[in-house]
Amino acid sequence: MAELDRHLQAPARLKLMTMLTAVTEVEFAVLRDGLEVSDSVLSKHIATLADAGYVRSRKGSYEGRRTTWLALSPAGRKALHNHVAALRAIIDGVD
Amino acid sequence: METSNHRPTPDEAAAALLDAGSARDQLSNRLTLPSWFYASIGVAIAIQTATLALGVAAQSVAGIGLAVAGLIPFALVAWVQLTRFRRLNGAWVSGIASRVVFGGGAWSSTLHFLALGIALWAAFDQRWWLVAVCSVAGGTAYALSGVRWMQVYRRDPAANSRGESVLLLIALIVLLAAAVILLVLQSTR
Repeated sequence: MAELDRHLQAPARLKLMTMLTAVTEVEFAVLRDGLEVSDSVLSKHIATLADAGYVRSRKGSYEGRRTTWLALSPAGRKALHNHVAALRAIIDGVD
Repeated sequence: METSNHRPTPDEAAAALLDAGSARDQLSNRLTLPSWFYASIGVAIAIQTATLALGVAAQSVAGIGLAVAGLIPFALVAWVQLTRFRRLNGAWVSGIASRVVFGGGAWSSTLHFLALGIALWAAFDQRWWLVAVCSVAGGTAYALSGVRWMQVYRRDPAANSRGESVLLLIALIVLLAAAVILLVLQSTR
């Protein structure tokens, strides 16, 4: 049975990772606005997920300014898949 | 901000999944296409189909030049529209590039090659009106396949956001270049 991933237990991180599945790459501000969090909160979540190897970030430009582009890594995609399976098992009452 | 080992209740788990899914759907629904997106791709494909059919049927160096020149509007449209999409949304969806613009979807590639095949036959048979009809039909079908793919993407963005790998696209471009070189070599013999 799939197990809950401690890195994805925070609802904002689960939301962030799930949002990343809809795109190949997204700009920092777009993700921040979608999550409705501050720059610093998003930066901390991204740092945690990047340390876990779940999110890849790179410096780039957008609308003429330097910014960060974010993408889900293959390890992140797998971890999210397992975490969602574990949540579904909880919903279905499977232990 | 620290990680937690709290085991959610079924209600909490359901709420978390619903919230995450809703955020993902909002992001995918917010993505907008640049103006004249489908129309410009359809026109570029129609030009490419017509020039390729006429150029190959001419069986001359000038004809091959025409066929190769027909790829330029498509390359320009692809580059401009994909750049505009990225600027407009602050996001990149490789599925849009490979399936909608470069015709990697089953419908767009099948209809494009079908229109191209008939246009080639018509050009060799000097039925110019049929070349024109096939080119317009091919471009329209290609654009409509893109519309259809976007609907599929919006229904399930997680399953459709990814396109073909970069390596596969490079392999296809190399194959296309090799085919053009062969055509040029054969026509100059």
